[in-house]
Amino acid sequence: MLELVAVRHRYAGRVVLDLERFAIPPGALIAMVGPNGSGKSTLLRLLALLERPTEGEVRLDGRAVSGPRVRPDAAARRWVTLVEQRPILLQGTVRDNLGYGLWVRGMRRTEVNRVTENVAARLGVTPLLERRRHELSEGEIQRVAVARALAVEPRVLLLDEPVSSADRAAAHSLYAALREECGRRPLAICLASHQLEDAYRWADDVRALAEGKLSPVTPENLFRVELPNTGSGDLKHVRVGTIEIAALTDKTGPAILAVPPTDILVSREPLASSARNVFRGRVTRLARQRAGAVHVTADVGVELVAVVTEEAAHDLQLTPGGPVVLAFKANAVRIF
Amino acid sequence: MDFLGEGLRRAVALLLGGDAEVGGVVLLTLKVAGTATLIACALGLPLGFFLATRPFWGRRAAFTLVNTALAFPTVVTGLLLFGLLSRRGPLGGLGWLYTWQAIALGDVCIALPIAAALSAAAVQGVDPRIRRTAQTLGASAWRTAWAVAREARFALAAVITAAFGHVIAEIGSAMIVGGNIRGSTRTLTTAIALYTGQGDFGLALALGVILLALALLVNIALQVLQGKGHA
Repeated sequence: MLELVAVRHRYAGRVVLDLERFAIPPGALIAMVGPNGSGKSTLLRLLALLERPTEGEVRLDGRAVSGPRVRPDAAARRWVTLVEQRPILLQGTVRDNLGYGLWVRGMRRTEVNRVTENVAARLGVTPLLERRRHELSEGEIQRVAVARALAVEPRVLLLDEPVSSADRAAAHSLYAALREECGRRPLAICLASHQLEDAYRWADDVRALAEGKLSPVTPENLFRVELPNTGSGDLKHVRVGTIEIAALTDKTGPAILAVPPTDILVSREPLASSARNVFRGRVTRLARQRAGAVHVTADVGVELVAVVTEEAAHDLQLTPGGPVVLAFKANAVRIF
Repeated sequence: MDFLGEGLRRAVALLLGGDAEVGGVVLLTLKVAGTATLIACALGLPLGFFLATRPFWGRRAAFTLVNTALAFPTVVTGLLLFGLLSRRGPLGGLGWLYTWQAIALGDVCIALPIAAALSAAAVQGVDPRIRRTAQTLGASAWRTAWAVAREARFALAAVITAAFGHVIAEIGSAMIVGGNIRGSTRTLTTAIALYTGQGDFGLALALGVILLALALLVNIALQVLQGKGHA
């Protein structure tokens, strides 16, 4: 198991990642979601042992392999491989690239060729084997980079926005291939993505990062806000886009505001209730997820996501563009 | 202007005639410049790589030092070496003063900062993803350095050429620590200075033409290598 323990990582004195514990269990497919600058890429670089945390440590099977006083060695790196968001191919052909990680492990040429052709076939890059990097598109380079990472049979594969240059069909086929890899042998995957739908569809576990911290709620409805000093008691009216959200908090100043989608009540008309937050809007998207749940995205001045059952969505006759009312209590709002 | 024409005629005659003294000077120059370039690059390229890739306390000061050394006057280098290699100096026991080894040592001192500073710049110009990619695929520190060096190979070849070009044309240090002794420490540049002073303009010009031809040959060789690399 690969894990970060008590990690606080700084760039130029500023804390960019603050995680008490972040573990990737064997065989899991974890998706990290969060806005740009939330710390996803930094997290992946720490896990890939390319950077050492300013505080805390990275552990592999309970053994510290990276930390302020622990320099990661090539042996530890051989179990963890990262594919960056914009990967680069090394000098030579695609075949040379797929074989690079095997070559540095001292594998014999015939064996390298066998593994290379095998992984190329699994990832659908066989026709590209003799090409060089300037003869490939960005999407092809991403796919080759994933194949190159898989060729070394890592225990943990880290992917930073692996389908950012791929069309929907290519993204689907890459995720399907990754799922197959997880089934083929013991492999844990942790991928960073800002595509929530992909994350929910393909990952076993979706975790959200905001401002370098793990969000205690699911990644939808996260907003960076400024908490006012005013308010009656701990009830504050916090501006989010064009609306004001009532929240119970004694904090002031910059913070992250989150509304768990399961705490939002969806109706066609406003209901008489204790909810301090009631917003009218229009449905912008309906996405069917696992276990019969429907994610309803509505524009109420800002985009909010609520989760309802398929049956509820049907009874309410929710359709894209149709009217909708979202309501939630002030104490459902999380501030961190 | 007659003396220019006469000098050129003499130069052509010497070059075509295969003068033994000229041949000896050329061979010694190549030996000294080749040895110095080899040693300076063997030390300077790894140093440049280290400066470019490893964060350490005082790195900026080290960069400043190397860059300052680039502009160090070669006569001052020669003067300092003379002090070190003279009989009463700390390296006097080597007995190198007025030998080709002394000239080569001076050239190493001159070419080392060139090799270090320019190779650091070349390595810094390589996309940092190359290094991270090699590391994340399990490459050792040496293999990672090799992957980066392969990306920077043309720039590094230019570094070697620049170092060679600098030492082959150097005169200040060679004159002081070599002494310009006929048949022993006379290089192309010191010979040119001597023959010009003696009024033997033809011989000086002939040696100048050879010096230029050598520089041209090295550059052509580099371009051929680059052409093969792009193929």
